[in-house]
Amino acid sequence: MDIISQLQEQVNSIAAITFNAFGTLQRDAPPVQLSPNYPEPPPAAAAAAAAAADDPTTTAFPEQPKQLSADLVKAAKQFDALVAALPLSEGGEEAQLKRIAELQVENDLIGQELQKQLEAAEKELKQVQELFGQAADNCLNMKKPE
Amino acid sequence: ILSFFLAPCRRRIISEARNQSPSIFDHPRFPPLKRRMATATYPPPPPYYRLYKDYSENPSSAPEPPPPIEGTYVCFGGNYTTEDVLPSLEEQGVPQLYPKDSNVDYKKELRSLNRELQLHILELADVLVGRPSQYAKRIGDISSIFKNLHHLLNSLRPHQARATLIHIMELQIQQRKQAVEDIKRRREEAQRLLKDAFVTLDGQ
Repeated sequence: MDIISQLQEQVNSIAAITFNAFGTLQRDAPPVQLSPNYPEPPPAAAAAAAAAADDPTTTAFPEQPKQLSADLVKAAKQFDALVAALPLSEGGEEAQLKRIAELQVENDLIGQELQKQLEAAEKELKQVQELFGQAADNCLNMKKPE
Repeated sequence: ILSFFLAPCRRRIISEARNQSPSIFDHPRFPPLKRRMATATYPPPPPYYRLYKDYSENPSSAPEPPPPIEGTYVCFGGNYTTEDVLPSLEEQGVPQLYPKDSNVDYKKELRSLNRELQLHILELADVLVGRPSQYAKRIGDISSIFKNLHHLLNSLRPHQARATLIHIMELQIQQRKQAVEDIKRRREEAQRLLKDAFVTLDGQ
Protein backbone atom coordinates (compact mmCIF):
# COMPACT_ATOMS: atom_id res chain seq x y z
CA MET A 1 0.00 0.00 0.00
CA ASP A 2 1.33 3.45 -0.77
CA ILE A 3 2.51 5.69 2.01
CA ILE A 4 -0.40 8.13 1.93
CA SER A 5 -2.93 5.29 2.26
CA GLN A 6 -0.87 3.90 5.12
CA LEU A 7 -0.96 7.31 6.80
CA GLN A 8 -4.73 7.47 6.37
CA GLU A 9 -5.10 3.96 7.81
CA GLN A 10 -2.93 4.98 10.74
CA VAL A 11 -5.07 8.05 11.46
CA ASN A 12 -8.19 5.89 11.39
CA SER A 13 -6.63 3.33 13.71
CA ILE A 14 -5.63 6.08 16.17
CA ALA A 15 -9.28 7.15 16.20
CA ALA A 16 -10.41 3.53 16.68
CA ILE A 17 -8.01 2.97 19.59
CA THR A 18 -9.21 6.21 21.19
CA PHE A 19 -12.88 5.47 21.15
CA ASN A 20 -12.37 1.80 22.02
CA ALA A 21 -10.25 2.86 24.98
CA PHE A 22 -12.80 5.30 26.31
CA GLY A 23 -15.65 2.89 25.67
CA THR A 24 -13.93 0.00 27.44
CA LEU A 25 -13.05 2.16 30.43
CA GLN A 26 -16.55 3.49 30.70
CA ARG A 27 -18.04 0.02 30.45
CA ASP A 28 -15.74 -1.74 32.89
CA ALA A 29 -15.28 0.98 35.50
CA PRO A 30 -16.14 -0.15 39.02
CA PRO A 31 -18.69 1.99 40.87
CA VAL A 32 -17.39 5.07 42.69
CA GLN A 33 -18.48 5.94 46.18
CA LEU A 34 -20.63 9.07 45.87
CA SER A 35 -20.61 10.22 49.48
CA PRO A 36 -19.08 8.97 52.70
CA ASN A 37 -22.59 8.56 54.11
CA TYR A 38 -23.37 5.58 51.91
CA PRO A 39 -22.20 2.19 53.22
CA GLU A 40 -19.46 0.19 51.52
CA PRO A 41 -20.70 -2.44 49.03
CA PRO A 42 -21.35 -5.88 50.55
CA PRO A 43 -18.53 -8.46 50.46
CA ALA A 44 -20.44 -10.42 47.73
CA ALA A 45 -19.11 -7.91 45.25
CA ALA A 46 -15.57 -8.63 46.50
CA ALA A 47 -16.07 -12.38 45.83
CA ALA A 48 -17.24 -11.65 42.26
CA ALA A 49 -14.18 -9.48 41.68
CA ALA A 50 -11.89 -12.27 42.92
CA ALA A 51 -13.59 -14.78 40.60
CA ALA A 52 -13.05 -12.45 37.65
CA ALA A 53 -9.38 -11.98 38.53
CA ASP A 54 -8.81 -15.77 38.51
CA ASP A 55 -9.94 -15.97 34.90
CA PRO A 56 -6.75 -15.62 32.83
CA THR A 57 -8.39 -13.91 29.86
CA THR A 58 -9.82 -10.88 31.65
CA THR A 59 -7.32 -8.20 32.55
CA ALA A 60 -7.63 -6.57 35.93
CA PHE A 61 -9.21 -3.17 35.76
CA PRO A 62 -6.24 -1.06 36.93
CA GLU A 63 -4.11 -2.42 34.06
CA GLN A 64 -6.54 -1.59 31.27
CA PRO A 65 -5.75 2.15 31.11
CA LYS A 66 -2.04 1.33 30.99
CA GLN A 67 -2.47 -1.06 28.09
CA LEU A 68 -4.84 1.19 26.19
CA SER A 69 -2.69 4.27 26.60
CA ALA A 70 0.39 2.24 25.57
CA ASP A 71 -1.47 1.24 22.39
CA LEU A 72 -2.41 4.85 21.73
CA VAL A 73 1.14 6.11 22.16
CA LYS A 74 2.47 3.30 19.96
CA ALA A 75 0.01 4.21 17.22
CA ALA A 76 0.96 7.88 17.47
CA LYS A 77 4.66 7.02 17.22
CA GLN A 78 3.95 4.83 14.19
CA PHE A 79 2.18 7.79 12.59
CA ASP A 80 5.21 10.00 13.22
CA ALA A 81 7.50 7.35 11.70
CA LEU A 82 5.30 7.19 8.59
CA VAL A 83 5.32 10.99 8.29
CA ALA A 84 9.10 10.95 8.44
CA ALA A 85 9.14 8.39 5.64
CA LEU A 86 7.11 10.59 3.28
CA PRO A 87 9.14 11.07 0.07
CA LEU A 88 8.18 14.69 -0.35
CA SER A 89 10.43 16.30 -2.92
CA GLU A 90 10.85 19.99 -2.26
CA GLY A 91 9.91 22.48 -4.93
CA GLY A 92 6.20 22.02 -4.98
CA GLU A 93 3.86 21.91 -7.89
CA GLU A 94 5.74 24.17 -10.34
CA ALA A 95 8.96 22.18 -10.06
CA GLN A 96 7.07 18.96 -10.73
CA LEU A 97 5.28 20.43 -13.74
CA LYS A 98 8.60 21.74 -15.11
CA ARG A 99 10.14 18.29 -14.71
CA ILE A 100 7.16 16.72 -16.44
CA ALA A 101 7.59 19.13 -19.39
CA GLU A 102 11.32 18.33 -19.62
CA LEU A 103 10.61 14.60 -19.54
CA GLN A 104 8.00 15.01 -22.25
CA VAL A 105 10.48 16.77 -24.54
CA GLU A 106 13.11 14.10 -23.93
CA ASN A 107 10.53 11.37 -24.48
CA ASP A 108 9.52 12.90 -27.82
CA LEU A 109 13.13 13.15 -28.99
CA ILE A 110 13.96 9.61 -28.13
CA GLY A 111 10.65 8.49 -29.61
CA GLN A 112 11.62 10.08 -32.93
CA GLU A 113 15.03 8.47 -32.83
CA LEU A 114 13.43 5.11 -32.10
CA GLN A 115 11.09 5.63 -35.02
CA LYS A 116 14.03 6.43 -37.36
CA GLN A 117 15.97 3.37 -36.28
CA LEU A 118 12.88 1.24 -36.67
CA GLU A 119 12.26 2.44 -40.22
CA ALA A 120 15.89 1.92 -41.24
CA ALA A 121 15.84 -1.57 -39.73
CA GLU A 122 12.63 -2.43 -41.55
CA LYS A 123 14.09 -1.19 -44.83
CA GLU A 124 17.16 -3.35 -44.36
CA LEU A 125 14.96 -6.29 -43.44
CA LYS A 126 13.07 -5.88 -46.70
CA GLN A 127 16.33 -5.71 -48.65
CA VAL A 128 17.63 -8.85 -47.01
CA GLN A 129 14.37 -10.64 -47.66
CA GLU A 130 14.54 -9.63 -51.34
CA LEU A 131 18.13 -10.84 -51.64
CA PHE A 132 17.20 -14.08 -49.94
CA GLY A 133 14.28 -14.51 -52.29
CA GLN A 134 16.54 -13.98 -55.33
CA ALA A 135 19.13 -16.42 -54.00
CA ALA A 136 16.46 -18.99 -53.32
CA ASP A 137 15.03 -18.53 -56.83
CA ASN A 138 18.50 -18.89 -58.35
CA CYS A 139 19.09 -22.05 -56.36
CA LEU A 140 15.76 -23.37 -57.55
CA ASN A 141 16.64 -22.66 -61.16
CA MET A 142 20.13 -24.07 -60.61
CA LYS A 143 21.78 -20.91 -61.89
CA LYS A 144 25.26 -19.95 -60.75
CA PRO A 145 25.09 -16.87 -58.46
CA GLU A 146 27.03 -13.99 -59.98
CA ILE B 1 -58.76 -30.90 5.24
CA LEU B 2 -58.46 -34.29 3.64
CA SER B 3 -58.68 -32.78 0.18
CA PHE B 4 -55.83 -30.39 1.06
CA PHE B 5 -53.59 -33.32 1.87
CA LEU B 6 -54.73 -35.24 -1.16
CA ALA B 7 -54.17 -32.34 -3.58
CA PRO B 8 -50.37 -32.39 -3.59
CA CYS B 9 -50.37 -36.17 -3.98
CA ARG B 10 -52.72 -35.87 -6.92
CA ARG B 11 -50.48 -33.24 -8.52
CA ARG B 12 -47.42 -35.33 -7.98
CA ILE B 13 -49.06 -38.32 -9.62
CA ILE B 14 -50.21 -36.20 -12.51
CA SER B 15 -46.77 -34.67 -13.03
CA GLU B 16 -45.12 -38.07 -12.88
CA ALA B 17 -47.61 -39.27 -15.40
CA ARG B 18 -46.44 -36.46 -17.63
CA ASN B 19 -42.85 -37.66 -17.15
CA GLN B 20 -41.83 -34.46 -15.45
CA SER B 21 -40.04 -34.37 -12.10
CA PRO B 22 -42.26 -32.94 -9.38
CA SER B 23 -41.17 -29.53 -8.29
CA ILE B 24 -42.41 -26.86 -5.99
CA PHE B 25 -44.07 -25.25 -8.96
CA ASP B 26 -46.66 -27.98 -8.79
CA HIS B 27 -47.82 -26.83 -5.40
CA PRO B 28 -51.31 -25.37 -5.71
CA ARG B 29 -50.28 -22.20 -3.86
CA PHE B 30 -47.65 -21.22 -6.44
CA PRO B 31 -48.89 -18.87 -9.21
CA PRO B 32 -49.86 -20.62 -12.46
CA LEU B 33 -47.39 -20.89 -15.33
CA LYS B 34 -48.83 -18.09 -17.49
CA ARG B 35 -48.65 -15.47 -14.74
CA ARG B 36 -45.08 -16.55 -13.84
CA MET B 37 -43.75 -15.96 -17.36
CA ALA B 38 -45.18 -12.43 -17.47
CA THR B 39 -43.28 -11.40 -14.34
CA ALA B 40 -40.00 -12.93 -15.52
CA THR B 41 -39.51 -11.26 -18.95
CA TYR B 42 -36.78 -8.69 -19.48
CA PRO B 43 -37.78 -5.12 -20.42
CA PRO B 44 -37.89 -4.47 -24.21
CA PRO B 45 -34.98 -2.60 -25.86
CA PRO B 46 -35.43 1.19 -26.14
CA PRO B 47 -37.54 2.08 -29.17
CA TYR B 48 -34.90 4.14 -31.02
CA TYR B 49 -33.10 1.05 -32.19
CA ARG B 50 -35.10 1.41 -35.43
CA LEU B 51 -33.09 4.53 -36.30
CA TYR B 52 -29.98 2.37 -36.76
CA LYS B 53 -31.48 0.16 -39.45
CA ASP B 54 -29.02 1.21 -42.22
CA TYR B 55 -25.98 1.69 -40.02
CA SER B 56 -23.88 -0.96 -41.77
CA GLU B 57 -24.36 0.69 -45.19
CA ASN B 58 -24.38 4.35 -44.22
CA PRO B 59 -22.96 5.08 -40.78
CA SER B 60 -23.98 8.75 -40.92
CA SER B 61 -27.69 8.03 -41.42
CA ALA B 62 -28.11 7.16 -37.76
CA PRO B 63 -28.02 9.74 -34.94
CA GLU B 64 -24.69 10.51 -33.25
CA PRO B 65 -24.08 9.32 -29.68
CA PRO B 66 -24.84 11.98 -27.07
CA PRO B 67 -21.93 14.32 -26.23
CA PRO B 68 -20.06 13.86 -22.92
CA ILE B 69 -21.71 15.49 -19.93
CA GLU B 70 -20.16 18.65 -18.59
CA GLY B 71 -20.80 20.34 -15.30
CA THR B 72 -23.09 18.68 -12.78
CA TYR B 73 -25.38 15.75 -13.39
CA VAL B 74 -27.89 13.74 -11.42
CA CYS B 75 -27.36 9.99 -11.03
CA PHE B 76 -29.81 7.83 -9.03
CA GLY B 77 -31.05 10.90 -7.17
CA GLY B 78 -27.58 12.14 -6.22
CA ASN B 79 -25.82 15.20 -7.61
CA TYR B 80 -22.39 14.62 -9.02
CA THR B 81 -19.94 16.98 -10.61
CA THR B 82 -17.55 16.20 -13.45
CA GLU B 83 -14.75 18.24 -11.89
CA ASP B 84 -12.84 16.16 -9.35
CA VAL B 85 -11.45 18.71 -6.93
CA LEU B 86 -10.89 18.38 -3.20
CA PRO B 87 -13.33 20.74 -1.43
CA SER B 88 -11.54 23.07 0.95
CA LEU B 89 -12.16 22.82 4.65
CA GLU B 90 -14.04 26.09 4.87
CA GLU B 91 -16.65 24.77 2.45
CA GLN B 92 -17.24 21.86 4.79
CA GLY B 93 -17.59 24.16 7.77
CA VAL B 94 -14.53 22.85 9.57
CA PRO B 95 -12.00 25.32 11.07
CA GLN B 96 -8.62 25.04 9.43
CA LEU B 97 -5.96 24.42 12.04
CA TYR B 98 -2.83 24.62 9.88
CA PRO B 99 -1.60 27.83 8.19
CA LYS B 100 -3.21 28.50 4.86
CA ASP B 101 -0.09 28.91 2.80
CA SER B 102 0.40 27.84 -0.80
CA ASN B 103 3.52 25.82 0.10
CA VAL B 104 2.59 24.25 3.41
CA ASP B 105 5.22 22.00 4.99
CA TYR B 106 3.30 18.76 5.17
CA LYS B 107 5.55 16.83 7.50
CA LYS B 108 5.75 19.60 10.10
CA GLU B 109 2.01 20.21 10.03
CA LEU B 110 1.16 16.51 10.22
CA ARG B 111 3.45 16.07 13.22
CA SER B 112 2.08 19.12 15.04
CA LEU B 113 -1.50 17.99 14.36
CA ASN B 114 -0.60 14.59 15.84
CA ARG B 115 0.67 16.32 19.02
CA GLU B 116 -2.49 18.41 19.25
CA LEU B 117 -4.57 15.25 18.86
CA GLN B 118 -2.80 13.49 21.72
CA LEU B 119 -3.21 16.55 23.95
CA HIS B 120 -6.91 16.76 23.17
CA ILE B 121 -7.41 13.08 23.92
CA LEU B 122 -5.81 13.58 27.33
CA GLU B 123 -8.00 16.62 27.91
CA LEU B 124 -11.06 14.54 27.05
CA ALA B 125 -10.01 11.89 29.57
CA ASP B 126 -9.67 14.62 32.21
CA VAL B 127 -13.04 16.13 31.37
CA LEU B 128 -14.75 12.75 31.56
CA VAL B 129 -13.33 12.20 35.02
CA GLY B 130 -14.01 15.66 36.40
CA ARG B 131 -16.80 17.42 34.49
CA PRO B 132 -18.53 14.70 32.42
CA SER B 133 -21.22 16.98 31.01
CA GLN B 134 -18.72 19.12 29.05
CA TYR B 135 -17.53 16.39 26.73
CA ALA B 136 -19.22 17.76 23.61
CA LYS B 137 -16.81 20.62 22.96
CA ARG B 138 -13.80 18.36 23.39
CA ILE B 139 -15.27 15.77 21.02
CA GLY B 140 -15.88 18.56 18.49
CA ASP B 141 -12.25 19.67 18.77
CA ILE B 142 -10.96 16.14 18.32
CA SER B 143 -13.14 15.53 15.30
CA SER B 144 -12.03 18.76 13.66
CA ILE B 145 -8.40 17.73 14.22
CA PHE B 146 -9.14 14.43 12.49
CA LYS B 147 -10.82 16.23 9.61
CA ASN B 148 -7.80 18.51 9.23
CA LEU B 149 -5.49 15.49 9.22
CA HIS B 150 -7.48 13.75 6.50
CA HIS B 151 -7.74 16.95 4.47
CA LEU B 152 -3.95 17.40 4.60
CA LEU B 153 -3.41 13.81 3.50
CA ASN B 154 -5.91 14.17 0.68
CA SER B 155 -4.23 17.30 -0.56
CA LEU B 156 -1.03 15.29 -0.90
CA ARG B 157 -2.66 13.06 -3.51
CA PRO B 158 -2.14 15.41 -6.54
CA HIS B 159 1.54 15.64 -5.59
CA GLN B 160 1.66 11.84 -5.46
CA ALA B 161 -0.03 11.61 -8.86
CA ARG B 162 2.52 13.95 -10.45
CA ALA B 163 5.39 12.06 -8.84
CA THR B 164 3.99 8.78 -10.19
CA LEU B 165 3.75 10.35 -13.65
CA ILE B 166 7.36 11.51 -13.49
CA HIS B 167 8.46 8.04 -12.43
CA ILE B 168 6.54 6.36 -15.24
CA MET B 169 7.93 8.78 -17.84
CA GLU B 170 11.49 8.18 -16.66
CA LEU B 171 10.92 4.43 -16.93
CA GLN B 172 9.52 4.83 -20.43
CA ILE B 173 12.46 6.96 -21.57
CA GLN B 174 14.82 4.34 -20.23
CA GLN B 175 12.96 1.56 -22.07
CA ARG B 176 13.01 3.52 -25.32
CA LYS B 177 16.74 4.18 -25.01
CA GLN B 178 17.25 0.47 -24.44
CA ALA B 179 15.19 -0.36 -27.52
CA VAL B 180 17.19 2.10 -29.67
CA GLU B 181 20.41 0.50 -28.50
CA ASP B 182 19.09 -2.97 -29.24
CA ILE B 183 17.97 -2.07 -32.73
CA LYS B 184 21.31 -0.39 -33.51
CA ARG B 185 23.19 -3.42 -32.30
CA ARG B 186 21.08 -5.87 -34.32
CA ARG B 187 21.38 -3.77 -37.46
CA GLU B 188 25.14 -3.64 -37.15
CA GLU B 189 25.28 -7.37 -36.62
CA ALA B 190 23.09 -7.96 -39.66
CA GLN B 191 25.32 -5.70 -41.79
CA ARG B 192 28.34 -7.60 -40.60
CA LEU B 193 26.82 -10.97 -41.46
CA LEU B 194 25.84 -9.73 -44.91
CA LYS B 195 29.36 -8.40 -45.55
CA ASP B 196 30.84 -11.71 -44.47
CA ALA B 197 28.45 -13.54 -46.77
CA PHE B 198 29.43 -11.33 -49.73
CA VAL B 199 33.12 -11.85 -48.94
CA THR B 200 32.67 -15.62 -48.90
CA LEU B 201 30.68 -15.46 -52.13
CA ASP B 202 33.31 -13.33 -53.86
CA GLY B 203 36.04 -15.57 -52.58
CA GLN B 204 34.59 -18.57 -54.39
